[in-house]
Amino acid sequence: MYDADHNRTESRVSQNEIKISSRNVQVYYGDNHAIKDVDVDIEDRLVTAFIGPSGCGKSTFLRCLNRMNDTIPICRVEGDIHIDGEDIYDKRVDPVQLRAKVGMVFQKPNPFPKSIYDNVAYGPKIHGLAKNKSELDDIVERALKRAAIWDEVKDRLDASGTGLSGGQQQRLCIARAVATEPEVLLMDEPCSALDPIATGQVEELIDELKQNYSVVIVTHSMQQAARVSQKTAFFHLGNLVEYGETEKIFTNPQDSRTESYITGRIG
Amino acid sequence: MTDATANAAPAAGRRTSKSIIETDANTRKRNAAEARFRYYGMAAIGVGLFFLCALTFSILRSGLPAFTETAVTVDFTLSQEQFDEAEGQVLKTAAYEGFFVRELQAELNEEGASDVEVSEAAVGRIMGKVGSQIREFYRANPDRLGEEVSFTLPASSRVDRYLNGNLSREQLTNSRFLEPDDLDIVDGLVESGVMVNAFDWGFITGTDSGVDNPGGAGLGASIMGSFFMMLVVLVLALPIGVAASIYLEEFAPQNKFTDLIEINISNLAAVPSIVFGILGLAVFIQFAHLPQSAPLVGGLVLTLMTLPTIIISTRASLKSVPPSIRAAALGVGASKMQSVFHHVLPLAMPGILTGTIIGLAQALGETAPLLLIGMVGYVARQHPDGLASGLLDPNSAMPAQIYTWAARSDPAFYEKAWGGIIILLVFLLFMNAIAIILRRRFERRW
Ligand SMILES: Nc1ncnc2c1ncn2[C@@H]1O[C@H](COP(=O)(O)OP(=O)(O)O)[C@@H](O)[C@H]1O
Ligand SMILES: [Mg+2]
Repeated sequence: MYDADHNRTESRVSQNEIKISSRNVQVYYGDNHAIKDVDVDIEDRLVTAFIGPSGCGKSTFLRCLNRMNDTIPICRVEGDIHIDGEDIYDKRVDPVQLRAKVGMVFQKPNPFPKSIYDNVAYGPKIHGLAKNKSELDDIVERALKRAAIWDEVKDRLDASGTGLSGGQQQRLCIARAVATEPEVLLMDEPCSALDPIATGQVEELIDELKQNYSVVIVTHSMQQAARVSQKTAFFHLGNLVEYGETEKIFTNPQDSRTESYITGRIG
Repeated sequence: MTDATANAAPAAGRRTSKSIIETDANTRKRNAAEARFRYYGMAAIGVGLFFLCALTFSILRSGLPAFTETAVTVDFTLSQEQFDEAEGQVLKTAAYEGFFVRELQAELNEEGASDVEVSEAAVGRIMGKVGSQIREFYRANPDRLGEEVSFTLPASSRVDRYLNGNLSREQLTNSRFLEPDDLDIVDGLVESGVMVNAFDWGFITGTDSGVDNPGGAGLGASIMGSFFMMLVVLVLALPIGVAASIYLEEFAPQNKFTDLIEINISNLAAVPSIVFGILGLAVFIQFAHLPQSAPLVGGLVLTLMTLPTIIISTRASLKSVPPSIRAAALGVGASKMQSVFHHVLPLAMPGILTGTIIGLAQALGETAPLLLIGMVGYVARQHPDGLASGLLDPNSAMPAQIYTWAARSDPAFYEKAWGGIIILLVFLLFMNAIAIILRRRFERRW
């Protein structure tokens, strides 16, 4: 089943255009050099997985892509990251606008302690995506449907988002992220707090989402990377060791460190 | 060498499994320690409760009498001729006193207590200057002459205390203010229902009296003074404190300067209140020439005092909002400001409000700084309106008024001081109740 999937995407891989390109990216936390010389081209309309042992800098690099690192005072980013050819660290870039274009889903589900409806409607509201209440209703419904949670919550949109189960909360967070019509979706270990059934639902969802977005997912689980991604980047101690087609990385890694990691000898 | 290994092997083999039904010495010791700790805790709470009860009891016992007032009600008819006659005399009030005593005796006879005989001298001791009160009434309302008017006139504070059981006959043997024989009259008046001990609204709504009239002293003006001060504190300290905390907690860069500010705020919270008082005296009164004894100045001083409390509690409640909420808001493209005002602040609200109300309650009970800006010892009676009524009119505050009463020599004022404490405590309890209600209302689970 996965094979068929991969064959299909492989033909598409070459056609996809580059959404994000990073060159020479360095990230420092004070004196700690957390990301070293990372060059990577992330393509549109497919899922890119970041894998690697804990502390190798996957989350750090992911946060560079929507400038969430700006909120960490000691964090310093060098190098170039372009999205659609525009330098996101340009002085003229408003990170708020960038984050509307590059949505993010976090490791721990973090719905606002508000109603399910308000959770999803918040982004569109502050970005002025809806002119009136019925348009907003449509956006909320579409986002919840796209996050495959509409059927479960359509009767209780006024209930608190924090009252949902873990898997539902994470899908609500995905709905919240897609509601602002982003072009890139960053996900930092979105399933690490979920049970296998919820994980399966979220993975299915990610597979759906790649039709409209460029999805970047950080994951601890190599099986998950193999299941959902078309391209995989392996990080080790702040370096991007290997980047390529997921299938190739898992069946025929070029670097010995990648091989050790996927066979379970490091990590 | 071989011995050692030979010994070790059977030892390992002989290892017996421990019974979990028999408690071993270690477990017994641990359980005993736990039980002991529980008893210590219960003892501590018991001691606390005992003192709370003792305090409440003694406050209520000493303070409740301040809320009642003994008064004599007499239906009185004064004709135009009697009025003219009295006004023609040299000792005018004595004439009115004569009329009053006559009416009082008539009232007693009517009630079937003719054996009680009242004299002008005794009435003067029991009731104070009734003559002048009656005269004042008729001079102000000459149209009531000839009609029946019901006068309710307060008895002296000693009679009050006698009826409340705080004054015995033995204590009166050589008092020129009240003689033991007068107490028989008082008993007779009470029995016939002419004299009643009733709830005294004047104590809550009235103004302070002079040292010579403890019975008429009320807390009303000081309540107004405290109210205006709290208004100033709320209007200034809440927005300034919350804005400063939000800036420090969410926006300020982490550097030496903000560290310094932080240390200063923590230290300010521990500065004795009298220091704020002298600062207020120097800055607001001597430098800025604001009026002395004004609730505005008191409010400003208390604002300075309350700010650190509000800032510290607000920052603590902002800190307790999980960072994931901020990340979530930023993640969907909210600006820093939007994430704070739409998400962080509402979640921190219960803590902020609780801190503010606790700060206000502290300010409400604060006395020392008020001593320095002259809000003590002001007698509101001197104010033209009777009840000091504005931010700039000189006034006192509840705790300062209590202090003033407690410092006066007449034991009746001592009673008033306790009564004032009851009112102050009721206000504090009320504010704490509001804090709890607000907390409940704003509390959210996540
Ligand atoms: N907020 C932070 N402040 C300081 N150092 C950090 C912070 N976040 C991550 N780091 C450091 O950066 C390195 C990479 O961390 P991270 O990106 O979280 O790794 P990963 O997500 O791959 O487990 C680690 O050495 C970690 O200690
Ligand atoms: Mg991580």
